[in-house]
Amino acid sequence: MDFKGFLNDREFVLLDGAMGTLIQKSGVKYNSVPETLNISNPELITSFHKAYIEAGADIVYSNTFGANAYKLKESGYSVDEIIYAAITNAKNAVSGTSSLVALDIGPIGQLLEPAGSLSFDEAYEYFKEQILAGKEADVIVFETMTDLYELKAAVLAAKENSDKPIIATMTFERNGRTFTGVSPASAAVTLTGLGVDAVGVNCSLGPNELEPVVSEISKYTNLPIVIKANAGLPDPNSNEYDIMPDDFAKCVSSLLKYGVKIIGGCCGTTPEYISKIKETLKKERYQPQKKSVDTTVCSASTVVEINGPRIIGERINPTGKKLFKHALVDNNIDYILTQALSQVGGGAEILDVNVGHPEIDEKKMMVRVLKAIQSVCDAPLQIDSTKPDVLDAGLRYYNGKPIVNSVNGEEKSLSEVLPLVKKYGASVVGLTLDENGIPKTAEGRFEIAKSIVERAEAIGIDRNDVYIDCLTLTVSAEQDACRETLKALHRVKTELGCKTCLGVSNISFGLPNRELVNRTFLTMALEEGLDLPIINPNVESMTGAVCAYRVLSGIDKNSTDFINKYNDAAPAVSESKTSEIDIFTAVYSGLKNEGASITQKLLESTDAMQIVNEMLIPALDKVGDDFEKNKIFLPQLIQSANTAQECFEVIKKHISVTSGSPVSKGKIILATVKGDIHDIGKNIVKVLLDNYGYTVVDLGRDVDPQLIVDTAVEQNIKMIGLSALMTTTLKSMEETIKLVRERKELQNPDGTSKCVVFVGGAVLTKEYAMKIGADYYCKDAKESVDTAKLVLG
Amino acid sequence: MITLDKLNRKEAVRYLGGAGIKLNYRMDSLMDECEDEILKKASPKFLYIEKDLPFSEIMQGEDIKSHLEGCEKAVLMCATLGAEIDKLIRISQISDMARAVVLDSFASVAIEQVCCKVDEMLAEKYDEYYMTFRFSPGYGDYPIELQKDFLKLLDAPRKIGLTTNDNYLLLPSKSVTAVLGLSKTQIERRKRGCAVCNMRDKCQFRRNGEHCGF
Repeated sequence: MDFKGFLNDREFVLLDGAMGTLIQKSGVKYNSVPETLNISNPELITSFHKAYIEAGADIVYSNTFGANAYKLKESGYSVDEIIYAAITNAKNAVSGTSSLVALDIGPIGQLLEPAGSLSFDEAYEYFKEQILAGKEADVIVFETMTDLYELKAAVLAAKENSDKPIIATMTFERNGRTFTGVSPASAAVTLTGLGVDAVGVNCSLGPNELEPVVSEISKYTNLPIVIKANAGLPDPNSNEYDIMPDDFAKCVSSLLKYGVKIIGGCCGTTPEYISKIKETLKKERYQPQKKSVDTTVCSASTVVEINGPRIIGERINPTGKKLFKHALVDNNIDYILTQALSQVGGGAEILDVNVGHPEIDEKKMMVRVLKAIQSVCDAPLQIDSTKPDVLDAGLRYYNGKPIVNSVNGEEKSLSEVLPLVKKYGASVVGLTLDENGIPKTAEGRFEIAKSIVERAEAIGIDRNDVYIDCLTLTVSAEQDACRETLKALHRVKTELGCKTCLGVSNISFGLPNRELVNRTFLTMALEEGLDLPIINPNVESMTGAVCAYRVLSGIDKNSTDFINKYNDAAPAVSESKTSEIDIFTAVYSGLKNEGASITQKLLESTDAMQIVNEMLIPALDKVGDDFEKNKIFLPQLIQSANTAQECFEVIKKHISVTSGSPVSKGKIILATVKGDIHDIGKNIVKVLLDNYGYTVVDLGRDVDPQLIVDTAVEQNIKMIGLSALMTTTLKSMEETIKLVRERKELQNPDGTSKCVVFVGGAVLTKEYAMKIGADYYCKDAKESVDTAKLVLG
Repeated sequence: MITLDKLNRKEAVRYLGGAGIKLNYRMDSLMDECEDEILKKASPKFLYIEKDLPFSEIMQGEDIKSHLEGCEKAVLMCATLGAEIDKLIRISQISDMARAVVLDSFASVAIEQVCCKVDEMLAEKYDEYYMTFRFSPGYGDYPIELQKDFLKLLDAPRKIGLTTNDNYLLLPSKSVTAVLGLSKTQIERRKRGCAVCNMRDKCQFRRNGEHCGF
């Protein structure tokens, strides 16, 4: 019988206990990693498996927890050799019994991006190698995972290289989160979507402390739940665990009410624990649980339940936005991140992400932007593109369960987009249009909605994961269309039982006082059952309308959220206060808002360049001077720089309105070199350069030398700044400089370099900088600005 | 379990190059907010193991030999503030760089305080021994490559989520690994001086004739 047979036929499925504990107790010595024992002492490992089978284990985990290429590097064995031997040992042990062998896979041992520097694709390759090596196993197990992103790479590697069932378990801390901040709910939602066969928790704590975690998981999945807990906590001196087999089994059975079906033991457990569990479970029944939360999207840390209106922020989208388009072309990811954070601050709970622009590679940019947003923002995201390959890439590299925007009733769209939604376990927005355009009537749109839902369900997408968009048309062009949209929305909500979404602001094109029209339409749509308004959350009246609606419709119980939001809202800052200080003082004291409004006023009477050259730059110079003389310290220097930046923004806007060409003193590439992820110093330099009017192309951290050189060539950039914090990453700096010097396009006809390279970082010295071929060494951000002035003027 | 209830502000200001500067009200409240935030988000964890000397796996270079000279045992330790702190600093770098540098500096102060608490705990546990100060991979000629071995010996990735990347950067980044020597006989008190410091050639403190106190 296979694993699925076990799930169907058996009341409970028993796993084994700890392998490491038995190895430790046996006192056997091994070289570098315990997995080498599979080869050096196969009898011992086989005997441990046998002991667990005799104790009642239906599945034994192969001794391959750390058998990945990273951890085996110095073991003298390949992944293939170790895993092959391990599976053979386990197969020998189960032979003649009904028990199955699971290929056991633990974390790689390196932190993934964004916190670490291992990429998603590298992680995928590590797992793929293990899965191919263990193809003789009956089940694939991923356990002790703390990073949902790593686990997603693992599950995809398994799904794409094997047809074996998958058990996925993570390990949680006492605060109910993993080390990387993953919540049990996010784990359950994401893993269920990715199509694993059982989900749960292992290691972590003793079974007595796991109730909160297990109960949360059970709310978000219908899958059988796994627990493989530690035997309590280890004593720091003796390393003995404190929960005995009897109590362990009792604790475990108290968790059965959450739908636990697959049970074993982790650190500190032995065959005795497993036989105790087996004995205790004889009297118990499996109690399958239906999940109580149906409609969800999530990031790794945050689940948003769609159980009332939730705002989707619309501003990460270049359509009609000049600055945004510039940001995309210049690779200015920080600009996009600022938009993300400000929308969340405004009240968005989900963010739409659209980076479609003819001058860039949309697919690459989508992946880059999604990763960057997820590194600073917990809100779930909506991947917005008309191109299936962009959606595919976005879905692959997203951490959590996203929304796809969108599919429509056209055959081509249905057949290309829905399989992606299914594969990656996402939700999807269904637009009610097809080959013939947007139906005029509510009836027509409802029919398309229905066919989208049917098609989704036919390939296994739950209708709870389809959000229908009945499409907003411009009321000034077609006045009746508004009614039809709302009628269709109402029918979709009540007859199909689907959640609905709607972009709102289209309604008011061509009318005066658009905000009023938008808000009124939003309120009408909410009353018809709109769940996901796609709006600009930073327009207070729109966000406010949603908050008020939540009160009036009884969703915001006791008006708690509303009161929290509005009770101590600060009154608007009065204008008069700001006019009392001048721009020099504003910049010198780092008063951001004041700086911007003073600049605005000044522009009415003063030439823009005069403000820059006679007021802003001298103020910044004074700040820089005082910093060098230790009169002010780093945070003040930065605040002044930020204030100046606000002033520059106002001036830039003014100039682009009046003359169309933005002011820039020249472009500079900044990057923290390959392998290094300490980039705070580089970011400080960026703030300062920005403020002196240079255009910074920030390539981020852990940057491939090739990307730096290519960018310099593509954008014709003459100045490159590199940072490295560690002695170990200085070699990447050297390589990067070498590559810059070698590139033909970056050389003058006489072979000298066109590019000026300046470097900085904690462990660098001037001598070393010169040795590796840099043109300038800058000891701090201020010196970087001085260097830029020298080189670019 | 280690909890922090206060962070050394003077030290944080010093890291930011503000020693001797009178902070204005706005800077003062920025410091307050950042201290609170670090205390709230930090989740300090540590591990240690005791090894009898000589313990060849960690002996590389001359400096560690002189550090552990005369010691019978060594304690390997590691500590981290956890991944939330990295995330906090990352986010603030987008929204407010000035805040980011203050948070970063308080986080450095916090991990040092965690280590000091571990020191105290160890001193109590090994009260029949004299104890050296903490010596970390990367000090003097002690190879940074040993980070990986330290973490493996301590089982740190699994137990407290502390890892290194291929370039031996600790992740989460506000983390420490170190070795302390234990001796039954009095150890000649060595100052962790500039001699073993990587920053000696470019140290701001040294340039101004000061000492970082380390």
